[in-house]
Amino acid sequence: MASFCIAHLYPDLMNLYGDRGNLICLQKRLEWYGHNCSVQSISLNSDIDYRTFDMIFMGGGSDREQGLVYQDLLRKADQLWKALDAGLPALLICGAYQLLGTHYESFDGKKLKGLGFFNLYTQGETERLIGNIVLACRLNNTVTTVVGFENHAGRTYLEDKSLESFGTVLAGFGNNGQDGHEGVRYKNLIGTYLHGPLLPKNPAVADFFINIMAARKGVNITTSLNDRLEDFAHQQIKRRVLGS
Amino acid sequence: MQVIRRIIAIAIAKLLICLSRILGNQGTDFPGRVARIIDPDILKKLAANVQEEIYIITGTNGKTTTTNMIARILEEKGYFFVHNRAGANMVTGITTAFIKEANLWGNRPFEYALLETDEANVPLLLKELTPRVVLITNFFRDQLDRYGELDRIISLIKDAVRDTDIELVLNADDPLVVHFQNETGLHCWYYGFDDTDYDVFEGEESREGRFCAFCGEELQYERFHYAQLGKFQCLKCGSHNPRRNFTGHDLRMTPQIHFYVNNMEIYSPYLGFYNAYNILAAVSVAKLVGIQDDIVQRAIARYQPRAGRMEQFQIGDKKAIQILVKNPTGLNQTLAALNTDPASKSLFFALNDNAADGRDVSWIWDAQVENIAIPGAAIKGITCSGLRSGDAALRFKYAGFNEEIIMVESDLEAGIKSCLNIEAEVYYFLCTYTTLFASRKILSRLAGNKSSHKHKVNLAKPAAGGE
Repeated sequence: MASFCIAHLYPDLMNLYGDRGNLICLQKRLEWYGHNCSVQSISLNSDIDYRTFDMIFMGGGSDREQGLVYQDLLRKADQLWKALDAGLPALLICGAYQLLGTHYESFDGKKLKGLGFFNLYTQGETERLIGNIVLACRLNNTVTTVVGFENHAGRTYLEDKSLESFGTVLAGFGNNGQDGHEGVRYKNLIGTYLHGPLLPKNPAVADFFINIMAARKGVNITTSLNDRLEDFAHQQIKRRVLGS
Repeated sequence: MQVIRRIIAIAIAKLLICLSRILGNQGTDFPGRVARIIDPDILKKLAANVQEEIYIITGTNGKTTTTNMIARILEEKGYFFVHNRAGANMVTGITTAFIKEANLWGNRPFEYALLETDEANVPLLLKELTPRVVLITNFFRDQLDRYGELDRIISLIKDAVRDTDIELVLNADDPLVVHFQNETGLHCWYYGFDDTDYDVFEGEESREGRFCAFCGEELQYERFHYAQLGKFQCLKCGSHNPRRNFTGHDLRMTPQIHFYVNNMEIYSPYLGFYNAYNILAAVSVAKLVGIQDDIVQRAIARYQPRAGRMEQFQIGDKKAIQILVKNPTGLNQTLAALNTDPASKSLFFALNDNAADGRDVSWIWDAQVENIAIPGAAIKGITCSGLRSGDAALRFKYAGFNEEIIMVESDLEAGIKSCLNIEAEVYYFLCTYTTLFASRKILSRLAGNKSSHKHKVNLAKPAAGGE
């Protein structure tokens, strides 16, 4: 039995639309696989060493809260980037995803700087992109559908064309409602607009993170879980959106 | 020409109201919508017939119950008033309510109007009529996907009341509500609770009002009544709970709600802290209307729960209770109430994602479902139903329930029957908005009630009833 620890970044600021369900999901599944998983909340002005964690998670927040978080993250940006570049698993939703880019420009022209990890940026518009969304994603060389709910005013554009997106949009808007892509993928990082929360209804994505976390620790996960309810929920929303 | 237009609008809308009643529809928006197309000024004209005062009740949670309680008090007093009883709280539904009570000429006088109003509809409504009072119960995260963020709704309402003579009745315990006074400069009346034995001292993660609305600093709480309602202050700018005009004190919640409002004793057959707030808000408004204490006390004591508000059904030898849940705070309160009931339970949860429910069902993950995944809650089975039965089932599974007691029956009737098949002492039916009335019809039928309106008859004057 191994012990895992996930850092939950700014839970008091960045937690919209049930995003903490992702952590509940990872914790429970790791338990069901026979391991331990704790979640440590990281708040503003706390000094952390990202290398001591098995994964980091951050959810979405409103504009005001995102500004506070940016200031704090900026202080540790180098260290965070090194950890991500070394393959630290990370799930970053909505506002947290936008912070990875070079900047966010609101609809009235105000520019907020991003961390600049990737050459992508977000343009705010007045009309929000809201609704159920279905993606096709490649995880461990298998194409699988991913379902969720998006609700964002920002349109994100991957300027660096060599950047990999999280998936292609089968139904819904995705990054910007135009180019058919959703989110960003880099090593073991996923940035995405998908709420829902993402992981409970997409056990393949949850297990993608779990397998990497385990492998990085030298732990082998051999058992498989009964995903009857997970698969049902996944199919139910897929049928509702794609109508097949 | 104007008069003829008004008469035609009223006549057609009245006809539509009759028709929809015959068809057994709950929806009361449509007649008002049609009337407004024929005569866009219809609401303005009819609202001018209110002789005394108009009261608007808004906020995220508790507006229906609070409005219904005020209505019960006005009935007890014998006033004639307009009230959008069926919970149709958009401008169209409010128009329907006025037309229902109006005569064909549209000149029948009303003494009061009591308008439960959707938060985002308050600015629209204020363009057409001028109330004496706007009561704001609280602001919680609710169906965000319909209107965007909470901040935006709050600033819309602020803009709409600024520079008017409207008086505000505000919840002194909700930091998101109390800064209306400073921002609008209006006269405010505050209600809130003194310290109670039910307060907690630690917060949950998902709270709305964690930050000071004036300076953005994190608020310091001395105690929480529930959710973000409590005793707070900001260490940076010094803002804190305002002085109360109506104080609830010496609260007891078992076996039923019992407390005092400025030393006036109140009994109610209701359960739960959120209902104590609803009662306190209703009593505050009644005092502003100028109604005598004994009438208020009698009305509150006699007020019985309505559809979805812990309404009970006897199905054979089984006791069933139906509860409307629509957001994390409401669900948390419901789960807390379940936890105080030691009886063994079979639980039913119907989750839809239609527009009226909120398209986004992720709110179920913001509720502390984990709180009932304990042996003490004595839950024998959980049946998940509705269009998003799968999401509901996963929430229970990941809250820690054994997968074997979680059933999925998307069809409401099959789900209700499956829930009743489980051996238990009491059956709880939790329903989101668009599953509420359909489930209620099924429960009523199984209970052998000839009319599903049975519980309403003793509440409302027949002329004002009908949902």
